[in-house]
Amino acid sequence: MRYPFPVGRSDFIQGDEAVARAAILAGCRFYAGYPITPASEIFEAMALYMPLVDGVSIQMEDEIGSIAAVIGASWAGAKAMTATSGPGFSLMQENLGYAVMTETPIVVVNMMRGGPSTGQPTFPAQGDLMQAVWGTHGDHMLIVLSPSTVQEAFDLTIRAFNLAEKYRTPVVILGDAELAHMRERVYIPNPDEIEVVNRKLPANEDEAKLPFGDPHGDGVPPMPIFGRGYRTYVTGLTHDESGHPRTVEPEVQQKLIGRIFRKILDHKDEIISYETFELDDAEIAIVSTGIVSRSAIRAVKMLRERGVRAGLLKLSTVWPFDFEVIEELAEQVRKIYVPEMNLGQLYHLVREGANGKAEVELIAKIGGEVHTPMEIVERVVG
Amino acid sequence: MQIRFAGVGGQGVVLAGVILGEAAAIEGLNVLQTQDYSSASRGGHSIADVIISNEPIYDVMVTKADVLVALAQLGYDTVKDSLKEDGLLIVETDLVKPDRPYIGAPFTRIAEETTGLALTVNMVALGYLVAKTGVVKKESVEEAIGRRVPEGTEEINIKAFRAGFEEGLK
Repeated sequence: MRYPFPVGRSDFIQGDEAVARAAILAGCRFYAGYPITPASEIFEAMALYMPLVDGVSIQMEDEIGSIAAVIGASWAGAKAMTATSGPGFSLMQENLGYAVMTETPIVVVNMMRGGPSTGQPTFPAQGDLMQAVWGTHGDHMLIVLSPSTVQEAFDLTIRAFNLAEKYRTPVVILGDAELAHMRERVYIPNPDEIEVVNRKLPANEDEAKLPFGDPHGDGVPPMPIFGRGYRTYVTGLTHDESGHPRTVEPEVQQKLIGRIFRKILDHKDEIISYETFELDDAEIAIVSTGIVSRSAIRAVKMLRERGVRAGLLKLSTVWPFDFEVIEELAEQVRKIYVPEMNLGQLYHLVREGANGKAEVELIAKIGGEVHTPMEIVERVVG
Repeated sequence: MQIRFAGVGGQGVVLAGVILGEAAAIEGLNVLQTQDYSSASRGGHSIADVIISNEPIYDVMVTKADVLVALAQLGYDTVKDSLKEDGLLIVETDLVKPDRPYIGAPFTRIAEETTGLALTVNMVALGYLVAKTGVVKKESVEEAIGRRVPEGTEEINIKAFRAGFEEGLK
């Protein structure tokens, strides 16, 4: 396999470009999108690269069509992705729920910008955290990842595809306008350095007849592929193990939605990832995700220089959320600060996790600039 | 080292930043490049930031510039306060009238005389910067130019870069 970009060496690229290259190395061969700042460069890269790896990149009429096409492509056997920003992500919510309900592995990238509505197209924000988790209606479960560097944008995109395939679920990558457009030195690995996970296929006709069953007890049914010999029914209506609509029996809904939750929550230790920085002896903790984590690391260093025992918990997975790790942290430290580029979203999750065992304080910032490290330091030292 | 390029749209300020960043990446250094520009494709201010370090880089933009390269008065006026007190100011001397000590040359005139194209001013300024600071090697920049400029324009851009570099050695 030849790749349309250099592999096995470092390159100097934007966050958007890193997402596109990682997707291709993870096996993505279908992209559908609609241009929007600041995610358009993902589409540009996919339009350039896809024909060179025997993949498909198409521009749809809007974001509703884009995610619909991606879901269809996934059922045809392709690893598929779409990318957008706030306004487009809002349009995708209905079909994001359809992907959850039909257990379709897809990757949806949202490079967050200031909102609501068309807001600040060229400026970064983190206002879509709760939308990524709860934007579509009904009880549902999915996975949300959030990178803070261009290298992480690359690494987490590969992880997003692997998680989508392994758990037959949509995975959302939450970047932001700053990360989308910044260039950093990134290591693009050789394909043999990358672990690539592919979805389970039916091992036999019995498994193929139950595309929403649980033959392996892990909550993840094998996924038949259209055109490969089985007749499969796919619907957003509540359905039984065979996929046929059964909308009036409470136990069918309970079993289906219960399994969709369980297949992710039973494996949350494997799904959730985070990094700690100077936390061992910390009495002040900062909890952050995404681009703000960069300033938070610097803030921790500055606080340590001033004799404040501060540390950082940097979340790479936003959802499922590790409430337990926050509670443990709250037992250790005196106070937890949550800097985020919105008026308080992650803050509420952290507060729930802290469970009253430590004070939790929000450091909110909107307008389009990432917190400076000093802004965080000043709030901590008062 | 924090380096900031400031000019107006159309001067190739962002490309100069990208090429400097690429040169640093070629040398295996950690590097971050971001940009800020108005929505006008020509005429509005245009800023490119490059941070180069042996350590991990956590900043997302220049906070206190070690070097400011100003190619137009509007760009200079927009960001002049971000230059450190003892920072190095490099200016296009025909187009920028600074209110503090500086070095520089008429980069646009040098571009026109060397390549016949005023739009290679970004490469002239980049050459001057590299000669004055030694932040990256000349050869790394030339390799980066080869990777980043439109096909067929490598030679003319390298020529402009070398003219700026020579000027910087004076």
